[in-house]
Amino acid sequence: MSGKNDSSKVYSYKEKNGKRQRNDWIAAYIFIAPLVIGLAAFYVWPFIQNVWFSFNDVNKFNVATFNGLDNYKKLFSDPALWGALWNTVKYIIIVVPISIFLSIVVAALLNASIKGKSIYRTLYFLPTVTMPVAVSLTWRWIFNGDYGLFNEFLGLFGMKGHAWLGDANTALYMIMIVAVWSGIGYNVIILLAGMQGISRSYYEAAAIDGASSVRQFFKITIPLVSPSIFFILITGMIGAFQVFDSIFMMVGPENPIYPKVLTMNALFYRNAFETGYKGYASAISMFMFVIIMIITVIQLIGQKKWVHYD
Amino acid sequence: MRKNWKKLIALGLALTMTVSVFSGCGNKDDGKTKDGKTKLVMALWDEEQNKVMKEMIKVYEEENPDVTVETQLTTWAEYWTKIEASITGGDAADIIWVNALKAVGYAESGVLMDITEAVADLDVENNFPRALVDGYTYDGKLYAVPKDFDTNGLFYNKELFDKAGVAYPTDDWTMEDLKAAAIELQAGLEDGEYPIAAAYNSGQTTYEGSVYANGGYILNEDRTETGWNDPKTVEAVQAWYGFVEEGISPTSEQMADTLPDTMFEGGKLAMLMVGNYMISTFEQNEVINGKFDVVRRPSFNGKKTDIINGLGYAVNAATKNEEEAIKFLNWLGGEEAMRLQGQGGTVISARNDAQHYFAETRPELNLDIFTMDLEEAKMLEPRVPYYSDLMTVQREILAEVWAGNITLEEGTNQIAEKWQDVLDEKNGK
Repeated sequence: MSGKNDSSKVYSYKEKNGKRQRNDWIAAYIFIAPLVIGLAAFYVWPFIQNVWFSFNDVNKFNVATFNGLDNYKKLFSDPALWGALWNTVKYIIIVVPISIFLSIVVAALLNASIKGKSIYRTLYFLPTVTMPVAVSLTWRWIFNGDYGLFNEFLGLFGMKGHAWLGDANTALYMIMIVAVWSGIGYNVIILLAGMQGISRSYYEAAAIDGASSVRQFFKITIPLVSPSIFFILITGMIGAFQVFDSIFMMVGPENPIYPKVLTMNALFYRNAFETGYKGYASAISMFMFVIIMIITVIQLIGQKKWVHYD
Repeated sequence: MRKNWKKLIALGLALTMTVSVFSGCGNKDDGKTKDGKTKLVMALWDEEQNKVMKEMIKVYEEENPDVTVETQLTTWAEYWTKIEASITGGDAADIIWVNALKAVGYAESGVLMDITEAVADLDVENNFPRALVDGYTYDGKLYAVPKDFDTNGLFYNKELFDKAGVAYPTDDWTMEDLKAAAIELQAGLEDGEYPIAAAYNSGQTTYEGSVYANGGYILNEDRTETGWNDPKTVEAVQAWYGFVEEGISPTSEQMADTLPDTMFEGGKLAMLMVGNYMISTFEQNEVINGKFDVVRRPSFNGKKTDIINGLGYAVNAATKNEEEAIKFLNWLGGEEAMRLQGQGGTVISARNDAQHYFAETRPELNLDIFTMDLEEAKMLEPRVPYYSDLMTVQREILAEVWAGNITLEEGTNQIAEKWQDVLDEKNGK
């Protein structure tokens, strides 16, 4: 009998809780309203519009005329698309792994007890909070063929300088160097947070069992920060796929090699805002969307093999 | 009670944030100020000229106390994107600065007002250079009042000429004289210093004028055919490209890295073909200020045919203050405003009777040359609504030529072929 009583008590408690929960929900919805409305107005609606535009011929002033699959037909026969896709893939393959590798190394070093730790942390984070335009312009000057610091530096070792950003064979690699340099700070912050969340007791136990610090790093640190690594991998890949500002600022439309270093996003910008084919540009961005989605889904499946959530 | 307060404050905060999100999009404007004056907005992209415009506006506002005019400054890089977005959004400026290349496309899209009748009193046919009026005319209708123009001259760095012991350029130079001096200069200059620069995208200031001087052409009268493969066109472009081949101009890679304008500004380039719009920039740089002067462009085939380009004042077709905007437009194109603009010293006023003011602002420089060859000057091409398609093709192919990957002849043939495809398509062939 007492059991029955208990359950009715629980029931009435639930009832009361339900009302309260509903009030909480309303409050919660009001709290997230600014974000949701912002998302809907500035992300979801433009996305829907973009899908529609990709089936239209859209002029500079957003006057749309339906043209079915014309944009997509043009897309797959556009040699510029494949060039841009290859540039983007090259960029991702090189920038993302190197950036993550270096970030892990730097984060591990900054996590150790060294002197002046906070100074180093600030220094590594500075590029992240510096305006990308300022970063790009400074590096553009550093890589200048005639008057740049980089060539001066090479000259110290008797090496011959080069117009790094004027040569289609080297420009993209220069941009990658800058991308790695400026991306490390953000990654390090994420990784450091992950590393500092690891309980000391794991390391103490490992030390008692005689594990070297290198072994501890690979067997404890890496597995336990794998969620953070996964996070910077996903966001890094998406970010790398959308690279645009550094290409635009460091090479730019006036540079004769610009058509050869176009990435997907730069190709999109060119069509949307330079030549004014917004419908075609929308098709390009749909193509990008699909590719990014496929890559991300593959990563989400693949993570089960190596990411440890404990 | 305390809890309720907290809830209330939180709710209030959330609401204000939501409201501020919305108010960002609204921005309703009926073209009036709070005290009932008519408000006109003029969109422009040049910071230097913004100051001059503001001075001019002050004068206009004194004469017309019931109107206030604001300038809306957007940097050149974002100007057209912004104009196009604001026209789409329905809150674009009333008066819009345009250049001839853009004006044609905007006129075709119907976003600019046909002002042929509205500015009849200005008598643009007789008061402004022919080429400019043609430049803003589309389908027989006028879409902008010429504001200013730029023509080109041969700028030279006296210090580098002195160092190399070469005589300064003169107004009667020919292309042969230019080349001879460049070769002479090269012997006397250091590493990283160059005699002359001819960049792949410098047509407006270098080879395009020579094309016309040589009897070639870029587009025919009725915009149906291109002259890019005309032997006379190719010959004229070759004369300038030859400087790169012969090594008296920096290579394409070097010019990609440091623009010729910047090289000249930094005192690393002895001669530069460029428009009068660079003068203020040069003057602001201590490295070059006081060390340069300018002469007429060298003649090609005995002619000094130059390329003229410039800006105009256009009216937004959807303006809420049509009457006031047109009144202001008429004032902008009139004697007083054109004089004030010229005396401001940043640009050459387009109006015939106000062109001389610019040169008078700097008697120490040979600025008269910019108004000497106006009669023969040709408007910048390709003046068609789809010019950016043509320019993209031209740039990509000329970049290959300048990089030495294909010959100029191969390049011009490719440009002609691709341009013709675009022209045929747009002309409905």
